[in-house]
Amino acid sequence: MLAVPPRQRAAVPAELRGLRRDGVRLCVVDRAAESVAHTTVAGLADHLGPGDLLVVNSSRTIPATLRGSRADGGAVEVRPWVRRGRSWEAIAVEVSPPHAPLPLREGERLRLPGGLTALVAGRRPELPQVWRLELEGADGLEILLAHGRPVRYSYASEAIAAEHDQTVYATHPGSAETPSAGRVLSWELLLGLRAAGVEVVDIVLHTGLSSTQDDAVDATHPLLEEWFSVGPRAAAAIDRARRVIAVGTTVVRALETAAGGPRRVRPVQGWTRLAITPEHRMRAVDALLTGLHEPGASHLDIVGAAVALPLLERAHAEMLERGYLWHEFGDSLLVL
Amino acid sequence: MGSLDGQAALITGASRGLGRALALSFAREGAVLALCGRRIAPLEEVAAEVCAAGVRAVVISADLGVARDVERVAATALDHLGAVDILVNNASDLGTVPLAHLTDASSEALQRALDVNVLGPFRLTRAVIGGMLLRGRGLVVNITSDAAVEGYPGWGVYGASKAALEGLTRSWAAELEGSGVRVIAVDPGDMDTDMHRAADPDADPATLRRPGDVAESILRLVVTPQPATRLVAALP
Repeated sequence: MLAVPPRQRAAVPAELRGLRRDGVRLCVVDRAAESVAHTTVAGLADHLGPGDLLVVNSSRTIPATLRGSRADGGAVEVRPWVRRGRSWEAIAVEVSPPHAPLPLREGERLRLPGGLTALVAGRRPELPQVWRLELEGADGLEILLAHGRPVRYSYASEAIAAEHDQTVYATHPGSAETPSAGRVLSWELLLGLRAAGVEVVDIVLHTGLSSTQDDAVDATHPLLEEWFSVGPRAAAAIDRARRVIAVGTTVVRALETAAGGPRRVRPVQGWTRLAITPEHRMRAVDALLTGLHEPGASHLDIVGAAVALPLLERAHAEMLERGYLWHEFGDSLLVL
Repeated sequence: MGSLDGQAALITGASRGLGRALALSFAREGAVLALCGRRIAPLEEVAAEVCAAGVRAVVISADLGVARDVERVAATALDHLGAVDILVNNASDLGTVPLAHLTDASSEALQRALDVNVLGPFRLTRAVIGGMLLRGRGLVVNITSDAAVEGYPGWGVYGASKAALEGLTRSWAAELEGSGVRVIAVDPGDMDTDMHRAADPDADPATLRRPGDVAESILRLVVTPQPATRLVAALP
């Protein structure tokens, strides 16, 4: 697939570009018709109908970077990827852009805001850029909420207020990065869909990071475990749905983990290690609303599991030509 | 069995006055609580009283005029309670004390009142209402004042902010009709509270309502479905 030029990487959210959340562009790929069409997210209702089920991820994004100091006084930025109570697995980067990885020393203590300290206890064996940190002192989530900054990548402005990271239904705090496919949805749209017979239900998956800040490592698609919960209400809704539309690759990961068979999802919560590749055969998910991910991103593997490559390449080329914007503040793709 | 068993409520301005009284009334009826206020010590005292009633409470010290604090309040409440079924936007700022006529008020005083009394409830409601809408049930109570609709000398800054809050309430209620989520505003009248004493030191306490009585009236509004005409309710 053709590379995405820098000018087509969304630097700011739609609301700061004079649009509504659901005013962004939507590319609709219909696999049965092998067609590609273009509309806006506000036009989603034209493609959904009674009996359809929209499954959203209601994880709330937390400001998941903390700036502190190392034992030698040097500055460090810590980005937790996996949080299990007081045990974090995190990357450590320089505090200034481009936030290059910073090698820590096992046994050293990092001083973080709010009286929090973190003992560097080791590395993740299969991904040594990820450090095991044991927190001492204050509660980690409390400190992140009080002192953390949102994770921002190089194409987005670090000045964007944290409120723009939330979906309109964000509830359960815990995601390091916005489950951004749903960022384009508005309650006006969702309530309209409900009135038209489309059911809306949530699951929770707390996202980790999508980058180690090392391009070579990122190219290997590192994917760590993420905590998720599929409740009985979601499971029952999937059971009776005509068609299940996952809003985002996080929902796909959660539902396919919880799938016990074709269109059978059991209520379950825990950690998912499921890696969805283009070879994966979907069991719980029929369709996908997603943000736009650059060629090479692991998210695109999940899209690739839903739609054949030639059709995806055609859609990608049309979106490039029409000036679509990529990444978490950009436009959307619906695969039916 | 309490009338709020199994429900979770987030109350702002909960360390004293009406907020404290609401916390105690809601706790008696079985609601688990997140209590928010500026100062932690009085909040913890209220939480201790709440826990004595046999329910769980988390306290969150925050300034609702600060966006980051509002997000921390919402996230902490949602993390501890799992959901917020009832939000009471009770915290208020007079803008300036002693009260000043609008002709003499500073823009900083108006900004502060708008930050705490309008932006704070706007941000907090937006943060918790998504979960309510997903579940198809929930209630937001905005505490207002007759100063929102009447011109009282000295109350202009506060009154303007409460008028804005009532405007938000009307729009939310109209947009969410049929969703299962209610948004109402309640005017509690003049109460015997620290805030009222600060605004009107000469008021005769005997003429003022007791916060506990007002809290019981609001509790009745909370547990009883109200007709749309009670969108902005002045307590009898």
